[in-house]
Amino acid sequence: MKPTKYSEKVLDHFRNPRNVGVLEGDDVAVGRVGNPTCGDQMEVFIRVEDDRIMDAKFRTFGCGSAIATSSMVTEMAKGMTLDQALEIERGDVATELEGLPPIKMHCSNLAADALHEAIKSYRARGGQELSEALEDTGPELSCLIGKEEYLDKGVYLDVMAPEEFAGKRVVVLHTGDESIDAALELTSQTDRVVLISPEKEIVTTEELAEELRTSSVKVITESRVLEIMGDYEVEKVRVHNLDEDDEYELFVDAVVVIE
Amino acid sequence: MDSVYLDYHSSKPTDKRVLEEMMPYFTEMYGNPSSLHSMGDLASDALEASRKRVAGFINADEDEIVFTASATEASNMALIGYAMRRKRRGKHIIISEVEHISIRNIAKYLEANGFEVSRVPVDQYGMVPLHKMERRIRDDTILISVIYANNEIGTIQPIKAIGEIAADHDIAFHSDAVAAEGLIPLDVKRDGINLMSLSSNDLYGPHGVGALYMQKRYRVNPVIIGGGQERGIRSGSENIPGVVGMGAAADLMQSEMHDEVRRMEAYREQLIKNILQDVPDSHLNGHPTDRLASNSHFRFDGIEGEALLLSFKDHAIAVSTGSACTSKTLEPSHTLIATGLTHEEAHGSLQLTTGRFTEDSDIDKVIKVTPDIVSNLRRLSPIYKEKKVFAR
Repeated sequence: MKPTKYSEKVLDHFRNPRNVGVLEGDDVAVGRVGNPTCGDQMEVFIRVEDDRIMDAKFRTFGCGSAIATSSMVTEMAKGMTLDQALEIERGDVATELEGLPPIKMHCSNLAADALHEAIKSYRARGGQELSEALEDTGPELSCLIGKEEYLDKGVYLDVMAPEEFAGKRVVVLHTGDESIDAALELTSQTDRVVLISPEKEIVTTEELAEELRTSSVKVITESRVLEIMGDYEVEKVRVHNLDEDDEYELFVDAVVVIE
Repeated sequence: MDSVYLDYHSSKPTDKRVLEEMMPYFTEMYGNPSSLHSMGDLASDALEASRKRVAGFINADEDEIVFTASATEASNMALIGYAMRRKRRGKHIIISEVEHISIRNIAKYLEANGFEVSRVPVDQYGMVPLHKMERRIRDDTILISVIYANNEIGTIQPIKAIGEIAADHDIAFHSDAVAAEGLIPLDVKRDGINLMSLSSNDLYGPHGVGALYMQKRYRVNPVIIGGGQERGIRSGSENIPGVVGMGAAADLMQSEMHDEVRRMEAYREQLIKNILQDVPDSHLNGHPTDRLASNSHFRFDGIEGEALLLSFKDHAIAVSTGSACTSKTLEPSHTLIATGLTHEEAHGSLQLTTGRFTEDSDIDKVIKVTPDIVSNLRRLSPIYKEKKVFAR
């Protein structure tokens, strides 16, 4: 089957997705699976009352079948007890949709997984909220291969002369507020500034947070730059996605490491 | 049937005038050019006349054109055939990071067979920086292959300058000119190209026909062995109707290209201007000006390309994307990655390519529906406008 050949039912759920949105409240749990890097990310929200799923909603970044399976899984789960919902298996969602192309089966797995995650998270919580530890210093710099080798060949330890970065694709390692400042300053010189942080989220001053959120800086969290590579000068970096334990290459012209 | 077709880089219709020239060679003049009877003569005359037309189209000599069954086949002959012929001189080949998938995979095949391949990175617009190309040249470099213009984002490479660098170092220069055909006047002498891959369909000729331009000093070893057709470089009975079609298509293109390209440039400017203006958080992929007249390539934050493609399908508009979900490997476009995008960004791209039969109303329709399609998909998206940044 061609990757884009979908059943009418899949197309119906893609065109008219059911239960789009988010739920909030003490009786709500969310399951998040996938990663935008892989092309799919789903969030399934459930509202639980007396061990029964009273409402379910979803948000999905992904292909046609990712959207259709999320829509379907929320339809299926509504009204079920948590135990019943946990029995919705990976293939069941695809079956309800009258089948998926073989290459797309991973998408239907994701939808059921997101529902299971939501249920597990609801059960695990037991009324206890997790609070993120607040830090005022940034993440520690780990071993970075190539930093010395490419000094003055695309690796910068500060941003003394921003005009040197004009038109370049720049990666800034998040090492604290000073690095955020540098990333923001560079947006006046180039439209491609990527801030990479090993943390789950970047926590900074109110002012910098607001500026960073509205800026053109691309923020990548839960990722570490392992190695700087290139023939003579910086040409790319190898990035480790800590969440997915996956490595990939990002083509860049400059790397800013403020220690 | 899609009523608006903006996927000309994937496939083009055969021009009806081309088809008319081909038809007699299916049913009336069906001889084999190798045969000595008069039916054979008719076929060999048609073959040589077509060769002359294709040669004229790229400013080559007639005996420098070898007909093949596809541009991919021509590229196999150029890279594998030339590398095998010159392997005693050296085993190093240079390509760019934004080659067509066929060249990428041929290079991998050569690596697996004892050759070394260097890949030149590109800038954020997808263009090969000359100093990076030159830095990779070694004493044992035998071949440089750079795509004339990119098939996805339409960036036009500095081909003439690369040709000069190759010539200075006495290295053969191959270019895959398929995406550029009919959009840029091709001149192998001006550009210093020694080997070049061409496709018939990209000139509005039939599918299943291609050609290799092979300059006299740059002979390749055959990849397909057989009865010695095409001077032994490419065996197999000649596809006379197809070859006639390619020749006719090249002639038509020669005379109509100038006006056609100007019309397409206007469409391109209209698409780029309106879509960037009407869709928030949209970006242009590829070079702002040095790009194929046919090509507009966008990226929309927070959405995925296959979902985008399906939504356009519901509006009876045929488009293309760099998303992994539409590829056979589930990998995002290597070209977009090479320009410095992350996987997630590469997933959300939209490729619109116009052609000979594109009309004003097609462009208007796309401009009209795109903002709604994008905002509908963003409504579903958990990652749109989600920066994980918080205040202490």
